[in-house]
Amino acid sequence: MSKILVIDHEKCTGCRLCELVCSVKHERVSNPYRARIKIVKWEMAGKIIPVVCQQCEDAPCMGVCPVNALSRNAETGAVEIDYDVCIGCRMCMNACPFGAMGYDWVNSHVIKCDLCGGDPQCARFCETGAIQYVEKATLGALKQRKGAAALAEVMTKVSTAYSEAG
Amino acid sequence: MSESTKKNTDKKTVKGRTSGQFRCLYCFKRITAPPGAKSTTCPHCGYAWRISWFSPGEPRIRGPVWENNEAMTRKIMAESKGGSK
Amino acid sequence: MALKRKIAYIDLTNRTVKTASIPIELRKKFLGGRGLDMYLLYNHMEPGADALGPGNVALVSAGLLVGTLASASARIHLAGKSPLTGFIGSANCGGFFAPEMRLAGFDHLVIKGKADKPVYLWIHNGDIEIRDAGHLWGHNAQDSQTLIREELGDDDIQSLTIGVAGENLVRFSCVMTSMKNAAGRTGIGAIWGSKNLKAVAARGTMDIGIAHPEEALDYNKEIITQVTSAKVSKTMQKLGTMFIWGTTNTTGLVRVRNFQSNQIPHADDIEPESIEEEMIGTAGCFGCQVHCRGRYFIKGGPYSGTYAEGPEYTSLGAFGAEVGCTSKQTVLVGNHLVNSYGMDTLETGSMIAWAMELFEKGILTEKDTNGLDLSFGNNDAVIEAVNQIAHREGIGDILAEGPLRAAEKIGQNSIQYLIHVKGMSNLHSDERPTPALSLNIATASRGADHLRSRPAIDLYHLPEKVLRKIFGNPVPYDGPLTSDFRDYEGKPWEVIWQEMCYGAVDCLGICKYHTVFLGPNMPNFDEWSKLIYLNTGLELSPKDIWDSAERCYTLEKLFNLREGQTRDMDWLPDRYFDEPTDKGLPVVRGRSIDREKFTKMIDEYYKLHEWDKKGIPKKAKLESLGLNNEPSHQL
Repeated sequence: MSKILVIDHEKCTGCRLCELVCSVKHERVSNPYRARIKIVKWEMAGKIIPVVCQQCEDAPCMGVCPVNALSRNAETGAVEIDYDVCIGCRMCMNACPFGAMGYDWVNSHVIKCDLCGGDPQCARFCETGAIQYVEKATLGALKQRKGAAALAEVMTKVSTAYSEAG
Repeated sequence: MSESTKKNTDKKTVKGRTSGQFRCLYCFKRITAPPGAKSTTCPHCGYAWRISWFSPGEPRIRGPVWENNEAMTRKIMAESKGGSK
Repeated sequence: MALKRKIAYIDLTNRTVKTASIPIELRKKFLGGRGLDMYLLYNHMEPGADALGPGNVALVSAGLLVGTLASASARIHLAGKSPLTGFIGSANCGGFFAPEMRLAGFDHLVIKGKADKPVYLWIHNGDIEIRDAGHLWGHNAQDSQTLIREELGDDDIQSLTIGVAGENLVRFSCVMTSMKNAAGRTGIGAIWGSKNLKAVAARGTMDIGIAHPEEALDYNKEIITQVTSAKVSKTMQKLGTMFIWGTTNTTGLVRVRNFQSNQIPHADDIEPESIEEEMIGTAGCFGCQVHCRGRYFIKGGPYSGTYAEGPEYTSLGAFGAEVGCTSKQTVLVGNHLVNSYGMDTLETGSMIAWAMELFEKGILTEKDTNGLDLSFGNNDAVIEAVNQIAHREGIGDILAEGPLRAAEKIGQNSIQYLIHVKGMSNLHSDERPTPALSLNIATASRGADHLRSRPAIDLYHLPEKVLRKIFGNPVPYDGPLTSDFRDYEGKPWEVIWQEMCYGAVDCLGICKYHTVFLGPNMPNFDEWSKLIYLNTGLELSPKDIWDSAERCYTLEKLFNLREGQTRDMDWLPDRYFDEPTDKGLPVVRGRSIDREKFTKMIDEYYKLHEWDKKGIPKKAKLESLGLNNEPSHQL
């Protein structure tokens, strides 16, 4: 029943609509820099990588928090921040290996993806499928199919080459 | 905003669109190409087209089958002066 | 609120910056983007100013809906007096600069005077600083952006830059942002170059308020579904605007070897599907799900391994059919070069194609070109000519002057071979079989232009009932409309309707591929009205938006008249009338424009605009639009 965000950076066109809708959903304003997701680009080299919380099973942010302000939402599986407990030390930002823990300077606190309570807007708006919200149970199958598709392409090329060679 | 605007938008979305078909650039009738076909001849008018598939179910005309098109056009122009206006 | 953005007046001569708020009445009247740019141009430029002198102004404007939940609202509009035509200078582009400038607190920049040495503007959260750009001068458009990011230590900075073409005052140089987004036409890059303005960089973190956030999110989703479910969008997601060239070459509506044919058979290598094989994927502008920009690496030759973006429809003409070449390598390299130099791909290709026809006719010889063999189809010569234009070397120095000035320098009967209107070259398309599109290029305020008005759906054979629905909203129209694109009747209204459609999105900052340009079911005035309300809270009816677009277009006309435009300039090159098309499908073959019918068409077009026989807006029209007191100096 539990779902997870899956990122396929090869499908990302770098349009940053996810940043825009995330900021509107969470902060009620358009401000991509206050979003919980970030499209990191090396623009002139053509590299585009979406950065967002992976909701790690053994989450370093939870482990490093000195006041246990981070906990997992049993329903959505998202690691969430309890701002009543958070002391604003930003250790979680240091600990996250993906840089997915953000900081909102307006409210002076850390921010992170909460899966929009089970309806993540980034996935809702991502037309290319670079961000998808999928059942954990189908995650493996999704990756297998992608791998198999690449293999199938090679096989087709090989068999075409054989038949053309007579 | 008004109900009519909303209805208008609904009507303009995906429902009722034709897929797997394309329009002949000569006679503008709909043609269905066999899946993956690289070329096809319009059953209505006889113009032959090279086909590309921008998704597995969606063909488009890549270009004319040049010799066919030129011959067809010359024939039509000779017969009817191109339907000149 | 999205409307809390400011305008800044930057005087480069005296190095001063002043800011002001924008009166809401002016927002309602002109929306933003191109609309307010035209207001500012008409108000701030002294009549008759030298386009390359300090008296010209360089305007930068974000559209009203930029950075909001309006799909594909990423456009930044630039304006000034065109160094190419001497009339309206106006161009816009997508990318990420426009939302960044809004996030940094500004909607409009009025840049005046001339800096004594190269400078760039740094806009950051309500502040504007004039900074030294000596270290950027001489760098291409993309490296300049990287250098600014490195200098200021922030990878999220977005910049508008000029390349060496702008520095060298090539009269059709662009202002660029990102890899390939170009405010391409009318030579805005040369205005910047003449002011020693290398770049405008922005980075901001100021909230853009959304009036009705939840509804705006849902409505954005609706619009995206509406847009992306259209077949034209699905095609563009894969092939970009290249697909248009494929379809029009199939029909026989492209320019070949300058203007000697309307179709290039057996050009398989430059068909969109062939070029698509080189693509590693596509990229989108801010918030856009159509993502029509191709991404590729050049393979082989001196530029091997270079990352580039594009090419679009126009580059297939510029470095393909029009110069008689059928090699995708030439298209891919040519596209990369014009983007690095910051030069209008369309004008560049047109100038080279024209020079090639002059070479073919013996008007230019190898003596004039320093041995450069400008024969049609000479791939190396095309690339060399691009380099020479950008650096103003050899024959390139003459071609860099644009159509009319170059024709004057070359002399003889070279002007007969120019395919231009008002001194701006036409798109790489052939409008001889299509009176509607001919009227559009003949009357457009910028010169031969497909982006002021392009009633392209005229080519779709749509039933009259559908045409009535599109062209009868939001202003009723009960004159003739026909499904046959060879007709002259009814087309003037289609041209005017499309002028207002494009005017509206240029004011709002929305991309034209989200309009009734190539797809009859795309968003329209009704949708824009709702988008404006949900995002900004302003209540503007579809008719109000139409009126804003009409104000914008009328001001452009007034500006052109003030700068000396006359009725005879709303006309086509002789070849449109005298040389019928020789190729293509029966419906486009043997076609040319009829002078008499075309004259009547222009009369009708003026009448529908409520302009007099000379093309001057009537007093009553100006009063009804509230333009009778311009320039009114409210900003």
